[in-house]
Amino acid sequence: MVGEKRRSTSKNLAKNKKRKGPHLPNSILKTIANEKRPLNSDEEDDEIDSDDANVDLYEYEEGVPEEESRKNNRYDPVVNYDYELPEDFEDENVESDDDDEGGNSDNEEGEGDVVRHTRMLQAVTGMPSAAFDGESKRKPVLFTEAYPESEFNPTRDVLEGKGLLTIDDFMAPIEGKPGFNDLQKRISRMQKDTQAVVHAPLPKPERERLERKAVKGLVDKEFNKWVHMVKRNREAPTVYFNQNVSLGYSTVGAIASEFQPRTDFEKKMASVLNDNELGEAHDEDGAKLLELNEVSVEDHIKYRDHIAKMRSLLFRHELKSKRIKKIKSKTYHRLKGKDLKKSAMGALMDPEMAKEEAMKQEARRVEERMTLKHKNTGKWAKRMISRGLNVKYDGTRAAISEQLQINATLSRKMNSTNDGSSSDESDDEEELNDGSDQDTPSKLIAKAREKTLKTVEDDEVPNSGLLSLPFMARAMKKKNEEAIEEAKRALEEYEEWENSGGEENSKKTADVSGRRVFGATAKVEAPKESRKDSDNFYDNSDSDNDMEGIENNDLRAVRDTASPVRNTGAITETEKFDDDIENPASKTTFDVALFASGSWKKMKGCQNAETKKKTKKHVPYSKSQDKKESRDEESEDSESEAEQMVDGILTSASKETYEIPSQAELIQRAFAGDDVVDEFEKEKQEVLNQEVPEPEKPVLVPGWGQWTNIQKKRGLPSWMVREHEDAKKKRTLDLKTRKDARLRHVIISEKVDKKAEKLHTTTLPFPYTSKEVFEHSMRMPIGPEFNPATIVGSLNRPEVVKKAGVIIKPLKFEEANPNEKVDDEHPRSNQKQNPKKGGKTGKGQRKGKSKQKTKA
Amino acid sequence: MELSSEDNNLTEKVLPPIEQESDVELETKVKKYLRGEGADLETLKDKKLKTQLASREKLYGKSAKTAAKIEKWLLPAEAGYLETDGLEKTWRVKQTDIANEVDLLSSRNQYDIVLPDFGPYKLDFTASGRHMIAGGRKGHLALVDMMSMNLIKEIQVKETVRDVAFLHNEQFFAAAQKKYAYIYGRDGTELHCLKERGAVARLRFLKNHFLLASVNKSGQLHYQDVTYGGMVASIRTGKGRTDVMEVNPYNGVVALGHTGGTVTMWKPTSQAPLVQMQCHPGPVSSVAFHPNGHLMATSGKERKLKIWDLRKFEEIQTIHGFHAKTLSFSQKGLLAAGTGSFVQILGDSSGGSSSHNYSRYMNHSMVKGYQIEKLMFRPYEDVIGIGHSMGWSSILIPGSGEPNFDSWVANPFETSKQRREKEVHLLLDKLPPETIMLDPSKIGAMKPSRRKEKPSRGEIEAEKEVAIEAAKSTELKKKTKGRNKPSKRTKKKKEMVENAKRTFPEQGHNNTASKKRRIGEDAAAELPASLKRFARKN
Repeated sequence: MVGEKRRSTSKNLAKNKKRKGPHLPNSILKTIANEKRPLNSDEEDDEIDSDDANVDLYEYEEGVPEEESRKNNRYDPVVNYDYELPEDFEDENVESDDDDEGGNSDNEEGEGDVVRHTRMLQAVTGMPSAAFDGESKRKPVLFTEAYPESEFNPTRDVLEGKGLLTIDDFMAPIEGKPGFNDLQKRISRMQKDTQAVVHAPLPKPERERLERKAVKGLVDKEFNKWVHMVKRNREAPTVYFNQNVSLGYSTVGAIASEFQPRTDFEKKMASVLNDNELGEAHDEDGAKLLELNEVSVEDHIKYRDHIAKMRSLLFRHELKSKRIKKIKSKTYHRLKGKDLKKSAMGALMDPEMAKEEAMKQEARRVEERMTLKHKNTGKWAKRMISRGLNVKYDGTRAAISEQLQINATLSRKMNSTNDGSSSDESDDEEELNDGSDQDTPSKLIAKAREKTLKTVEDDEVPNSGLLSLPFMARAMKKKNEEAIEEAKRALEEYEEWENSGGEENSKKTADVSGRRVFGATAKVEAPKESRKDSDNFYDNSDSDNDMEGIENNDLRAVRDTASPVRNTGAITETEKFDDDIENPASKTTFDVALFASGSWKKMKGCQNAETKKKTKKHVPYSKSQDKKESRDEESEDSESEAEQMVDGILTSASKETYEIPSQAELIQRAFAGDDVVDEFEKEKQEVLNQEVPEPEKPVLVPGWGQWTNIQKKRGLPSWMVREHEDAKKKRTLDLKTRKDARLRHVIISEKVDKKAEKLHTTTLPFPYTSKEVFEHSMRMPIGPEFNPATIVGSLNRPEVVKKAGVIIKPLKFEEANPNEKVDDEHPRSNQKQNPKKGGKTGKGQRKGKSKQKTKA
Repeated sequence: MELSSEDNNLTEKVLPPIEQESDVELETKVKKYLRGEGADLETLKDKKLKTQLASREKLYGKSAKTAAKIEKWLLPAEAGYLETDGLEKTWRVKQTDIANEVDLLSSRNQYDIVLPDFGPYKLDFTASGRHMIAGGRKGHLALVDMMSMNLIKEIQVKETVRDVAFLHNEQFFAAAQKKYAYIYGRDGTELHCLKERGAVARLRFLKNHFLLASVNKSGQLHYQDVTYGGMVASIRTGKGRTDVMEVNPYNGVVALGHTGGTVTMWKPTSQAPLVQMQCHPGPVSSVAFHPNGHLMATSGKERKLKIWDLRKFEEIQTIHGFHAKTLSFSQKGLLAAGTGSFVQILGDSSGGSSSHNYSRYMNHSMVKGYQIEKLMFRPYEDVIGIGHSMGWSSILIPGSGEPNFDSWVANPFETSKQRREKEVHLLLDKLPPETIMLDPSKIGAMKPSRRKEKPSRGEIEAEKEVAIEAAKSTELKKKTKGRNKPSKRTKKKKEMVENAKRTFPEQGHNNTASKKRRIGEDAAAELPASLKRFARKN
């Protein structure tokens, strides 16, 4: 074998003597090799290529430089121009090379050399010398190779395909050897047999592509089977999964009847339960056993009554407590608390409670002794005492003495339970005294005067609304003047009072504080008045001794005035009026004078004798009332338009909504019908301008672009002008596209109603792609009010009808008719749940809707 | 749809002429119930949607057909009519002639109720026509059961009564009195005093929206929700005082007639009128709406009566020489007009086609001196109620009322239980005030586009082309010295084209970029906080 290879190499060499120069670049070699490669070389790798590039025909000792070997393609191919030599040079070189080989190929060397060589070969390979004979005879050329020749390292000519090996090549060496003929026969037979030739397999990607093609065809076929079914399901308006499923057992009994004991425990239980003896025993004795449990009727009734009683008691208690809980009155709770305390004290006068109470009392006493709160140490009491007023006024004295009394009760060693509350009261009184005493009569008068002046000054004419109308203004002015006059009178009176002082003063104080006195202070004589004062002052204190007489007096006074009051109001007024005339100094003069002018006072009749303070308050109030009154009169006079104001009850709303028509409006009304068309056109223009506003005229910012005359002459920059033009154009376009563009007599507002925007969709809902289609599909109502009952169900059926508990199984293949139309009337069930009942589809179940109403 | 029409064609060929006729009749009814054409499905590319819509359309067709058949065969009663032979004219037929022909029950509907003391009467019927409220100018309010002719309640409010209106059923009615409007119960108890509205001139109730609309003496229009009492809208019309007010039953739009000859239409959610129409050169005396909402009749003081198509806002007919103080459309579309003591009924002689032609149908003269105040057809009856200065009257107008009532809409034989049930249903179905619009069929449709804000892609492309062309064709100025070289000129041109292009942003790129960014953002958002800083930013 080796020899043959060698021969082939030598042959090759002989053929391509020219190739002995420096080799071609690897890439080129490779392409050449690929072109000439036999068909079966498709399993070769790049590595092999590079290897064969390495294995040059030359006796090349050194390794190929890495960049040329292109190992792992790490380097770009380098074209080695430097080593390119002229062709004529080659020959010599080769020869010299050959020489260097040691004359193996040379003829000049003698036979001895050949013999020696054979011997060496023999020694090396260990083969009989006969094997090498032929070779030596044919002047073999020996090449040393970098790597041994092998299937991984084929020689160059093998790779290039030039010197293709044939069977003959292999056969030649063994010609004549034993078995050669046999072999040759077989080979010739094989060569004749063309069918046995195995062609090279296709390249992998191609093979795979073919495979895929084949598979796709198959899969397509398989899938296409389903297409109709899928299409049908996709297009069906409703998919049904409402097969009737039998769940097996329907009752607990049915389930229990088939119970089989399995575990030990269950078995044991079963044996006991099913034991005949036990059953018999129960049948015999069971009744007796029950008898033992019997309860006597009386006992039971007793027990029941008891329970009922307790229950009713509980219920009543609950009711009561609920009612009590609901009571919100503070006084009730206070009293209740007190009661509780008392009862606790009285009933449970057990030593502990008593002791506790005593402790509290003691604490209070200590506190009183420490603070001396009730020993007239207060500011007011000190002042009273220092000025000697306590001697002068009964009330003051009484107050002071009461304080002392409280102090005494508190600081007493023990006893009396109600002290706390009384002290509170006295405190209140003290405060009251303080408050009332600060308003001295003179001050009061001053205050009154001030207020009167203020009200006089305050009168302002409102400059808008109904009151601004001229006749209203006039009326108001009149009223104001009257009021001012009265106010002046009042002021004079105040001054008089101030001047008079003394007793008058005291009288007035009585008036101030005497809120409880009803009327006719003038009737009471002067000496009595001081006493009455005190009465008014300390009306609620029980401590006074001389109370009774005064009270009588007071009552009489009240009776005096009350009797006329009980009569008609008019009489009361006149009487009072008279009284006031008799006693001009009294403030009621003013009061009643005011009332006499008006006509509304009836309901106030009984309050006529009110204090000065009250009266002062009345001044502005009644004035405003008067104003209203006057307004009423005016409105009655005026046209019927203002009829809603008759009663002087003006609600705020009506005030807003009602306006007396302006002069222009009146005129307009009177002459309506003149030139309405023109007016309408004007109005339309206005509306258009409002809805499609005209573009603003372009204006330059002053100073900009106005440096020189030239710039001024040029005018506005062109872009501004252009923009303006565009805006104008757009406006005209907008106006043209309006709905009312061609209707001269119509204005259709195109304002967007923001509130109504939510009633429209902003985007098309999913499957729709065109607005028209969507809107057309929305045109029909689908509710029961608008459709016959037979159709409503199918119009509103959901996409999937499914019974609860039905398991939706994956789609099963079934033959589907591709031309079948989707028919909603006869729905198809989508799965056969129960193969036995497969024939029954959901036809029967579907029509559950029953409402038979017809909407014509 | 196509299929069904084909079927019909087939049958037409076979069927005898009478049945063909009936088939045509059915066809028109089907058309009515179909509410317009279906969309053209051929344009759709989505096959699934296409088949779904097709099946839906089929259902609609079936529904319409069933409804039409029900209407044709199952409805119990037929509309009345007045038939004349030869030269006889329908308007020559007197009420006495009619009385001789009709059945006893119908002849009971011809009567005059003379109430001379309380002045001209306003009338209002409930939706079912069972009850009537009559309001005398001088304060007389009477609630009458028209079926049994029982006077349910009668009260004297001792005030001017300007108008009366029923609320959603006969349990409540509103009266516009001297100062305020009041709501009374069926038994005459005053339930509410509506002070906010002021002195109301006209009252109307929008029964689908539960709104009580009123216009007061100063021309203010108020809408009050009677379910909770809130004032929904208070609008200043700015057109002065008016007492002409009517509600379009189709869409709930309120129309006011003004002295300037304009009719304005209003909705509660807008302060400006929806539509203003210049209908007459003089004051508008009365307005009425056809129940289908497409026709409006107006009459002006200049003795003209006009009929308008509200879909186009165009006048379709003018009837001269007749000034109507009050107008009313019947359920079947007859138009009644009353002046002085004379009532004229106009009928649509075009026979239901789209072109309307109203002409004389019937006349009725009352006793001289009776001044007609209000005309109103009684629903579901061939009767018109006339309120006049001497009480009220009722005459027969054959063919005016809908012969078959629908108990889901209005039931004249309603029991109290049904009434209560109905009330609840009405409340549940109450429409919010913003659903009042000129075309309520637009509800649920796409939002009407405003002026185009964003030009489409094609438009942008076109504009770009134009701009580039313009840039290319601009003549460059002749410059001196080295600047006029051809190379410079071409460079300049190129620059200009580039500039022109730049003004139009590249769209495809923008979209993808934004998408990418979005994806990146999403990824960043999904990452835990600690890893967020490593998210790619682009």
